[in-house]
Amino acid sequence: MRLNRLDLIRYGRFKDAEIVLPKHGNGAADVTVIFGPNEAGKSTAFHGFMDLLFGFKGGAHPYAFKFERSDLLVGAELDLPGRGAVILRRNGKRSRSLLDAQDRPLEEAILGGALHGLDRDAYTERFSLNDESLRRGGERIAGAQGDLGQLLHAGVSGLTGIAATLDELSARADGFHKKHGRATWLKTGKDRLTEIGRELRADRLTIERERSLRRDRDRATAAFEEAAAALRQAHQRQAAAKAAQVWYGRSDELTRIDEALTAFPSGPDLPLNTSERVAGLVEKIANLEARLAEAAEDILRLDTAISENAADPLAEPLAAELARLEQLTIDGAPLMGRATTAQADLARRFDEIREQDRLIRDVLTKLSVSEEALSVLVLTPDALEDLNRATQDVLTARAAAKAAQDRLDTARKQMGEAPQEPQDLSALRAAHDAWQTVADLTSHETATDQAAARLTDAVAGLPATWKGLIEAGLPARETVDDVAREYLTLTAQLTSAENERESHAAELAEARAEREAQEAAPDTVDIASTQQARRTRDLTWKGHRAEMTDRSADAFEEAMYADDSARAHYQTGTEARQRLQAARSRERTAQARLDTAKARLDDIADRHGSLSERIASISRAIGLPEDSAASALAARHQTLTTAAAAAADLANAQAALKSRQARKAAALTALSEAAQQVGLDTDIANLPSHALKSLTLEDSHRQAWTKWQKAQETVAELDTEARQAGSERDEAERSLDSLTATLPLTDRSPAGLRSALPHLRALQQLHADRQKLSTRIEALERAISAMKDGAKRLCRILGTSEDEALTDPLRVIDDARARATAARRADEKRIEATERREAAISARDRAEANRNEAQSELNDCFSGQGASDLAPSDRVAQLVERDRQRAARATADKERKSARDSVDPELFIDELARLPDAVRATELEIEQKDAQDNRDAARDAQREAERIYKEAFDAADRSDLATEQATILEELRDGAHRAAVARLGVLAARGALRRLAAERRSSMLQDVEEAFVSMTAPAWTGVDVWSQDEGEKLVGIQPGGGSVPVEQMSTGTMGQLYFALRLAGYRAFARDPGPLPMVLDDIMETFDDTRARAALQLCAEIGKGGQAILFTHHAHLVELARDTIPGVGVVDMPA
Amino acid sequence: MRLLISADIHLGSPIRSAALRNPELGERLKQASRDTFTGLVDLAIVEQVDALVLAGDIFDNDHPDLKSRAFLIAQLSRAAEAGVPTVLIRGNHDALLDHRAHGELGPNIHLLHKGTPTVEIAGVAFHGLSFDAAHETKSFLPDYPVPVPGKRNVGLMHTSLDGAAGHDPYAPCSSKDLMANGYDLWCLGHIHAPFEKVSGPVLAVMPGIPQPRHFGERSGGTVTMVTLADGPPEFQRHDIGRMGFAECALDLTECTNQQEVLRSLLDGLRAARVDGRDTAVRLQVISDRFATEMISELAGELLENIDGVYLDKVKVVAPPAKPGAVPDDLVRLMQEELDESGFRLAASEMLEDLRLALPAEIADELDEDHLDSLLAEAIAEVSKTLHARGAE
Repeated sequence: MRLNRLDLIRYGRFKDAEIVLPKHGNGAADVTVIFGPNEAGKSTAFHGFMDLLFGFKGGAHPYAFKFERSDLLVGAELDLPGRGAVILRRNGKRSRSLLDAQDRPLEEAILGGALHGLDRDAYTERFSLNDESLRRGGERIAGAQGDLGQLLHAGVSGLTGIAATLDELSARADGFHKKHGRATWLKTGKDRLTEIGRELRADRLTIERERSLRRDRDRATAAFEEAAAALRQAHQRQAAAKAAQVWYGRSDELTRIDEALTAFPSGPDLPLNTSERVAGLVEKIANLEARLAEAAEDILRLDTAISENAADPLAEPLAAELARLEQLTIDGAPLMGRATTAQADLARRFDEIREQDRLIRDVLTKLSVSEEALSVLVLTPDALEDLNRATQDVLTARAAAKAAQDRLDTARKQMGEAPQEPQDLSALRAAHDAWQTVADLTSHETATDQAAARLTDAVAGLPATWKGLIEAGLPARETVDDVAREYLTLTAQLTSAENERESHAAELAEARAEREAQEAAPDTVDIASTQQARRTRDLTWKGHRAEMTDRSADAFEEAMYADDSARAHYQTGTEARQRLQAARSRERTAQARLDTAKARLDDIADRHGSLSERIASISRAIGLPEDSAASALAARHQTLTTAAAAAADLANAQAALKSRQARKAAALTALSEAAQQVGLDTDIANLPSHALKSLTLEDSHRQAWTKWQKAQETVAELDTEARQAGSERDEAERSLDSLTATLPLTDRSPAGLRSALPHLRALQQLHADRQKLSTRIEALERAISAMKDGAKRLCRILGTSEDEALTDPLRVIDDARARATAARRADEKRIEATERREAAISARDRAEANRNEAQSELNDCFSGQGASDLAPSDRVAQLVERDRQRAARATADKERKSARDSVDPELFIDELARLPDAVRATELEIEQKDAQDNRDAARDAQREAERIYKEAFDAADRSDLATEQATILEELRDGAHRAAVARLGVLAARGALRRLAAERRSSMLQDVEEAFVSMTAPAWTGVDVWSQDEGEKLVGIQPGGGSVPVEQMSTGTMGQLYFALRLAGYRAFARDPGPLPMVLDDIMETFDDTRARAALQLCAEIGKGGQAILFTHHAHLVELARDTIPGVGVVDMPA
Repeated sequence: MRLLISADIHLGSPIRSAALRNPELGERLKQASRDTFTGLVDLAIVEQVDALVLAGDIFDNDHPDLKSRAFLIAQLSRAAEAGVPTVLIRGNHDALLDHRAHGELGPNIHLLHKGTPTVEIAGVAFHGLSFDAAHETKSFLPDYPVPVPGKRNVGLMHTSLDGAAGHDPYAPCSSKDLMANGYDLWCLGHIHAPFEKVSGPVLAVMPGIPQPRHFGERSGGTVTMVTLADGPPEFQRHDIGRMGFAECALDLTECTNQQEVLRSLLDGLRAARVDGRDTAVRLQVISDRFATEMISELAGELLENIDGVYLDKVKVVAPPAKPGAVPDDLVRLMQEELDESGFRLAASEMLEDLRLALPAEIADELDEDHLDSLLAEAIAEVSKTLHARGAE
């Protein structure tokens, strides 16, 4: 790749700026010095170049201060391998940001291939260098201690931290674990895990531990139960001693009571509460005697009252007759209530009936009819209602008939004369519509013209035989594309395979030369040779011992030296043998690769030839010469395909136009026939427009005809309605006539009837009221007659005159009622006195019986007892005291037996036998206390064991320890992983660096030496490589042959060595896989002119194999470059 | 009826994560399995479920402690006193639940086994069989009681569902057979990742481990609430775990400096945060410039200011090589070195030395089988460390 021009279109402070890097001819070095003062934008330009190659980074952009990030645009013209000069642009989009000169997106693969897959960081590390990185690189390679592999790696990759990296990884691994290390991460962690494990084991309540604790608890429980039993035994003996003491005391008391009882009366023990019972009976007997005297007095007084209220013999018949009168009713009402007011009410009712008669006569007068007609004119309410409804119906029907006739007359006037009936134009309309669809030919004519024009264009570049080619059949487009694509691929593969074969041939030659060189080195002696040398030495020694001559001595000496040499070379030749082994391996690999490349080349060449024949065949089919290029096939095929499609389009368009013209003529004929059928003139020139006019007027004709037909239907409907109303009116009049035919009214018209109807309703009401009054007067007269009859019957019971019953029946009835009431009251008093007397006799008898019973009960209280000569109260006092003594005796006996029965019998007998014993209680007290102490101690021990057992379950859960244990293990797992990775990484890296030294030394060391000497002469004359136990080391050679290890060089010298390594690395990369622009930013500002001139010459070396771009703000370096590098390009930074 | 279903509690088994090196988190989660179980019982009481169902592995064989049994009884008794009975079975970790050796658990705590395979609660029949040994290679299903006619039937089983019969030592059982057994609901245990299976009206619930113990169990942390009504059983998962594990995958290939790395890490770690619980994050980073050590340090610094998120582990892998890219000389030669038998021998010996120094519990981390992957990581680590130094 080469950068021809950098376009800073909108980037940083630049707008439409460009930096052109001129190309150099005639084998001149491709070096461009870009000059600009500080802040001229050199860093901006380099950053822009990187953005172009690798795309903008995400996030804020450091150069988006003048333009928005989204507006940034950078471009360049690059020489890309296989493509030549290409103009590219890059914007700030996240995808498809690489554009061509017309801002069309391009695939990143265009650049990816040219950059050999390097990313931005790798490019920066390998192909850029500034003063700072040069100085720092020099310092850092000191850490490599001259290790050749590390130094060459720094040159190739630009990375100088390999030594520090390996140290860091080693330190990381050692920090985790190191044999015999005391403070490593692993050791510390394992110690803590041991502690945790110990604590967890001690704390964990396992099944075994629980079993042990349970055993302890059960043992303590058993001891406790044993001590408790001993305590119980002590308590029992103590209780037995107390019981024996009770027995002893109560027995004395019994003897004393027995002596006292001999002074009291004999007899059984009094029942409970006998004393109170005797006192109660004495009092009760006295009360009952007093009650007997009072009852005798009451009986005498009541006998007097009975005799004073004797019974009335007439009371019963009088009461029966009065009850009968009370039961009688007149018209549903009690007779007595009615008869009492009847006489006064009767006269008033006669006055009311006379007034009714007068009002009836007045109504008849208003109706102008005689009183004889009254019975005919008094109608029922239903008849009156029928007459009213019939009158109203006649009036309503007459009005409806008149209205219907009016509407009919109006409609007939509005209908007017009938219009002409319209014709059926549907056939004409269909024919006209059909003609309209085909009448316009413009679009078909236009399509035909356009198809003809397209065909002309399509066949413009084709031979005259194009039609024949198409008719013969074209190959499929996919076939053409596949063949062209495959041809291009195979051509590229062929070139690549040829290059590959040449490359592998060169590789084989190089590998073979190296193997031969390694084989020639004495250090490559193998073990078989050393064994052979040893055998030779031994044989010559034997020969020498046998001969002991100068010759045999020389031979032995030679053999001995040869053996020593072989041994020495063998011992120092480990690496040489490895190199020989590697060289042989590389030679075999190179040979295999070359064979594979040849086979592949032959295969591709065969396929390429076969494909060429197919291309010739396709070329003939599409009218091209047989030697046409594959890339031309697709274009010709496309042209022929387009021409075929255009010809087909033209034929189709012409056929469509012709068809449309025929359809138009047929439609006009059909229209003419349809017009003839409806009477239109078919000869006129413009038949379609006349037909359209008729069709347009058809609607208005049809609407007028429809309107007249609707009016005619309306008149017919109204005529029917008028007839119906007349019939209903006649029916109503007939109905009214039938209702009024028998009425003797002077005016029976509907109007006359409407006037007479109120009077007829009043007449009906007055007549009904008079009928009710007549009925009431008859009822009053029946009540008065019945009352007088009752009074007569009462007179006969009492034995008085019946005349009084006719004159004043009410007084007779009242007297009878008074007599009956007095008799009833006397009966009540007599009955009450009789009942009270019987009660007094009963009370007297009960008191007497109670007194006898109490006396008997009192006698029973003393049954079987002595001291009968005493009054009941004194007697009972004696007996009660006797019984108290007896009870005290029984209690004492019971207590001593109870005491004996409550304790162990054996212990009781034992203790009773000891009595009297004054110290026995104290002895037992001491025994009991000792047992109590023993029991309490056992109880405490049992509780402690129980507590320990319970606490084992309740103890705090040590999940914290388990969690810490798990966490430490996870940390150690992670640490172990990282340590293993670090240690394996160091192991692999050291091996790789040895390989790198072996692989690159031949190709790079010479470049390094030349560059180093060029910059440092005459202080240094070369570099050399020392083989040491720990590997190969680079040393500097000073004039006189003295060597200096790298780490002992000055800082400046190491910087120059680093520069030399980088230049060698660049040249190695440029050789394979290919050159990329190397950007150097003011790296020589600290060099003196001599060294700067030497460095510029080295830049020219870069320019011979690739492209070197030097940024500088030192004008003298520009001049120095012009002097040093023929044809160097110098450009200024754009403003 | 509503049931709260859980399994695989593994009482006493700690969380295994380097995240717990944080003192506050370590203190907070030192009894995570117990605290989670207490939370589970709280949930059962608050929701007033009709039964708490535990489908085995309540304990952990690696942590045999009768204190855990006492804790279990205390918690289940608390639930029983609040009106929530418990039905449970033994799993392959539940020697401490052996009723013959240690007695019954208490009233309203029903341990189902061969002698008592069925208990009825509120008209629903619960059936279950327990592990009598750590390994059972036969399916338990043929020995389960037939469904009780006219009642809802619920089964409890500890099984490696669909495991290979005769080979899998955890009562393997075909899920097809299970769903066709005639029960309405299966409460399962043993598989620590939760899932549910529905087949017509039958539901099988694997509630998962309620408190995940390591990154591999990150899908756990739940219990399942099931409602048995007239239709098919309905289920709903509830988060219960005190700490979860999450993966945070970040591509840092575009980052060229620490500030950009910090920004990406901050975004990724914040996104891993879950309100109401702690989260241990495993960082999976793609980068060819930033080594594991550096990413760990930067993430650690950031997490000091992000509540509830902690670092479990960091793994950095290199991005895939671009097609046609010229390989880095050092990387290429290191890879060639791996093919040398002498190198492999030395690497194996070095690995064995380190492995032998490790506690036995974690020695598997450096098994010989891991040599190739460790070597691949080693090459990447050298490259990243070297490039990181180059960028300094």
